[in-house]
Amino acid sequence: MSANRLSRQLKNLRSGLAEHYRIITSNRLSAFGFWIIILFVVVAIFAPWIAPHEPWEMVYDRDGNFASLRPPSWQFPVGTTHLGYDLFSQLVLATRTTLLIGATSGLISIIIGANIGLVAGYYGGKIDEVLMRLTDILYGMPFLPFIIILISLFGRKLEFVILAIILIIWRTSARVIRAQTIAIKQRQFIAMAKARGCSDFRIIYRHILPNVLPLLLLYAAFNIAWSIITEASASFLGFGDGETISWGGMLYELWLSGKTRVAWWWFATPSICIVLLVTSLVFVSRAYEEVANPRLRKR
Amino acid sequence: MFDYILRRLVYTLITIFAVASILFVLFRMLPGDPTMQVISPAMDPAVQLRMKEAFGLNEPIWAQYLIYMKNLVTLEWGRSFVSAQEVTDILSYRFWNTILLMAAGMCMTLVLGIGMGIIMAWKRNSALDIGGTIVGLVFQAAPPFITGLLLLMVLSYRLGLFPTGGMYPAGQRPDGIIELLLMPEFWHRIVLPTLTVGMYYISTPMLIMRDSMLEVLGSDFIELARAKGLKPRVVMFKHAARNALLGVVTLAGIMIGFAVGGQVVVEALFSWPGMGQLMVESAASHDYPVAQGTFLMLAILVITLNFFTDVLYSYLDPRIKITAKGVN
Repeated sequence: MSANRLSRQLKNLRSGLAEHYRIITSNRLSAFGFWIIILFVVVAIFAPWIAPHEPWEMVYDRDGNFASLRPPSWQFPVGTTHLGYDLFSQLVLATRTTLLIGATSGLISIIIGANIGLVAGYYGGKIDEVLMRLTDILYGMPFLPFIIILISLFGRKLEFVILAIILIIWRTSARVIRAQTIAIKQRQFIAMAKARGCSDFRIIYRHILPNVLPLLLLYAAFNIAWSIITEASASFLGFGDGETISWGGMLYELWLSGKTRVAWWWFATPSICIVLLVTSLVFVSRAYEEVANPRLRKR
Repeated sequence: MFDYILRRLVYTLITIFAVASILFVLFRMLPGDPTMQVISPAMDPAVQLRMKEAFGLNEPIWAQYLIYMKNLVTLEWGRSFVSAQEVTDILSYRFWNTILLMAAGMCMTLVLGIGMGIIMAWKRNSALDIGGTIVGLVFQAAPPFITGLLLLMVLSYRLGLFPTGGMYPAGQRPDGIIELLLMPEFWHRIVLPTLTVGMYYISTPMLIMRDSMLEVLGSDFIELARAKGLKPRVVMFKHAARNALLGVVTLAGIMIGFAVGGQVVVEALFSWPGMGQLMVESAASHDYPVAQGTFLMLAILVITLNFFTDVLYSYLDPRIKITAKGVN
């Protein structure tokens, strides 16, 4: 690849990113969501440096007393648990787990969903039939119970949580992208590309893919949000990774401890984080919804 | 129409069959002794051996698969490791409890959600519309265990307005569903779980109804209805809302899939004796026959509901039948 071509591609990439930035910040709610997500990402990256304690380390106050069930204070900004764990440290370190699960399963599932949708929609016929029946079968799988079964059988490991989420969650994106692909396939420029002798591969990935991109990004955001909600729910029920701290896991420990009647701070902070992050993702996805579905824009 | 329903029915059966097969594979992939899923390791070795033969677990894998399928069809779903009860007996009691709670949640979601959606489209861009959208999105982002915990902490622990869980007071198990429905304590206990489920799902029908109402309101036949001098309310509810409902039905399928997940969480949180709670308990205690049976039952529930949504949709939108013929 010549240097010239590389610089042109970099320029394309930069203008593409600028375009996405414009889409996201064009609307006050999605701009808010975007900056909240950035904040969480920064916290996740620097988590071990921000957190003053280990997640399961018993902490003592300045007078040397064991700090059990302390409400928020200067020393413990979000309080402590009944076993004297610092909730602020747990919260910060859990951000990393949640974002890791959300990003990994969200991205892998959108790649699977997009490819299945594109291939099924483009080729049609037998291939479409087989792939869509497969999707129908997945629609018959209850999502959370599937994760519960998988974890119960194979153990409380982060990998299995992620795997279970990926195996199910691509179904919606595959259906939606297939429908869009079928609509685009019938347009003139695809027939022209075929007449020019473009390969199927090139038509799918260079001609159709850019046209389904807004929809794809919309569902990428949805998939990340759904992954986060699902992981938190599974962890809350005790089917998360017991070795890694997560927001849902923090609430599971609260539920197990039976301190729900007193420790409002223990409930409030992980809950706010989950809701804030998922809401932000939904807000950002609304911006792409307007691009993917221009009829909405006028309203 | 009949053709279409018949074809959907066949697909539905194939899907149930496929899910059951996936379950078989999953349980056979279990690390360690595959017989663990039907025979409690706590049993006497001689009994274990006899059961192994009875269940055909020393046969080759394909024969085991056939036996598994035969047992599913003949409702021989095994016995619980914990209580030694028949799995089908446990499930037949739990099933209706889940349906009751699910129906209550769905009614609240659909009635309130669709109503709100119509009003929001009517008063579009008002404070009500914008506020409703934001509240809906936030509720959607709050997993049911968070809203449920919040409701418990405020309405139950703090204010003491509702019991903390269960379906009836301890020790007063009613005989049959009629007696249950006549118990005031039952209605007192169903409020919080219903609110929790309802709040999570309300935004989907609400926002879809709003969007499709706006779309319908822009079309010619609404102009015509207005031009005929019909009252705005009649145009809104009789003409626009009926057509906009289609969009809600389309997404009902997706909602149902998620509803079962939410159900599991809510039942566990409010100790509601349904299939969701059973799923969590049996999986946590590695009571495999119960876990397997409950999962299958939940899957059948989802698949059946999806089937009815499809049929309802094809009834509401006659165009679907033409496309269905075109595709197949």
